[in-house]
Amino acid sequence: MGGLPKKAQQLEALRGKKTAVLPLDSGALLFKDEKLPQDQREQLVVTAQGIVTAYNKMSFAGVGIARQDLAAGLPFLLALQKKASFPWLSANLLSRTDRKPWFKPHTLLTTGGMRIAVIGLTAQGADSLLTDKDNAVIAPWEEVLPQELAQLRGRAGMTILLSSYPSAINRKIAEAHPEIHLILQGGDSRGNMPPERVNNTLITQVEPQGKSVGFLEVHWNAESKRWEETGSENLLTDKQNELDRLGWQINRYRRQGDPTQAFKNQPQVLEAYNDMLAKQRLLEEEILRLTAEQNARDANRSRFSSYSFHFETMRKDLPDNPSVRAIVDATTSEVNRIGKAAVKARISESTGRKQEGTSEKYAGSTACTSCHAPQFAKWRTTQHATAYDTLETKEQQFNVQCLPCHITGPAAQTGQEMLALAHDLRQVGCESCHGPAQAHTLQPAAAKVGQPTMATCQRCHTGDHDDRFNFSEALSRLRCGAD
Amino acid sequence: MNKPTTFLLLFLLALLGITVSASGAASKQKGAAKQPAGIEHDVTIFFANDVRGETEPCG
Repeated sequence: MGGLPKKAQQLEALRGKKTAVLPLDSGALLFKDEKLPQDQREQLVVTAQGIVTAYNKMSFAGVGIARQDLAAGLPFLLALQKKASFPWLSANLLSRTDRKPWFKPHTLLTTGGMRIAVIGLTAQGADSLLTDKDNAVIAPWEEVLPQELAQLRGRAGMTILLSSYPSAINRKIAEAHPEIHLILQGGDSRGNMPPERVNNTLITQVEPQGKSVGFLEVHWNAESKRWEETGSENLLTDKQNELDRLGWQINRYRRQGDPTQAFKNQPQVLEAYNDMLAKQRLLEEEILRLTAEQNARDANRSRFSSYSFHFETMRKDLPDNPSVRAIVDATTSEVNRIGKAAVKARISESTGRKQEGTSEKYAGSTACTSCHAPQFAKWRTTQHATAYDTLETKEQQFNVQCLPCHITGPAAQTGQEMLALAHDLRQVGCESCHGPAQAHTLQPAAAKVGQPTMATCQRCHTGDHDDRFNFSEALSRLRCGAD
Repeated sequence: MNKPTTFLLLFLLALLGITVSASGAASKQKGAAKQPAGIEHDVTIFFANDVRGETEPCG
């Protein structure tokens, strides 16, 4: 949740500049996945509560419910809703028995002197997300949307849908319901998706992981409720340029007089000339048609609605909002406290047994020094050697979401195992790249260690965490010469 | 200038003032009719999704 204070500051700055601002979130606000690892649940739930507190502070107008928001269970989200000052929206998360929505299906807001309806839709998927005890079902959009839109008819100047369905389904929704003017989706996009016009609906999305926020400035005509048609200005210019080029070529033929006479003994040249004349006539007709269409659009332009947009990346150098920074700091501090308590509990539970360490196969980086001193010295100069220290500086060393990429050990170890890690396995050590090496320390010749592949690095240097990662460059920079 | 003439002159000036102000108001109304209130609106939508993770997930 490290980017929330920047997002809050962007919103506050926008409110300072514009009178009518509508902050909306299409969902996946709380959790990364649809299931929570049991040993991380407590920390993840505290983080989710912190996010809601921050959104309350930012006065969000509405948040859609995505499948990930149900990861801690429907009862958790229903309870959290009571602490939220914004509405959680889903028109299709229904009671299995009476088909009534568990959350508000829509909200009506007044912004910029206009009533705006905001509807929420939750993407369908595996049934395992909801338990029998939940008495809930995610209904298909076709079942709920027509009646929802019928209820809202005449009550709003503009209708927005917050949808966690993927793009392909949102396009179908737009084709079926032109009365939805904007779909803010939270589905499968890899990057920022500029507004795409489908029928009379704009569909747009910001990139995942809260790396960006989107700004859509709308000049809305609540009478026509239609976006202006996309112009064919570029096509008209292209055609005019093509006509100019053609005219220049035709004139070259005419330099030697009337081409029908000048080339009467060169039928191929004459044929090419006649083809150009035919093409010229076609282009002139097309330009006339495009110009007439353009003029008609210009005459009607004021009747239609227009927009402009941009995406703002939450760069590290953007300023933080102090109030939201305080909420984030308090939340991460609580997450760390929970992790610390879990470590203490584990140590007292395992009295008499080995108290530290997760895997017998890992030896720790210090064990490598006796034979690989130069390589160890080189590793000490890299950021890998202080990866755990950075967590300590930020007081995140007990956060099990952060630990996997700041320690040495198998990717599949549990949060409890990571928290009780042997001291020598802290940092991203030799065995993070070369694999577990305890056997190698005992029998160096017989048990060889591995060499890192791109997949090794991509356990942590994913597009989400490190979109500038380049394997070849990293390998040549970090190569320690180990054999 | 006698009193009736002065009165008549002031009356004519006042009438002229009323006419000018009414004509101004009419032209303003004409302008407003061109862009009726309540039809055109400017709204800035600030939108986000997928807040988990963020730019600095671990601080």
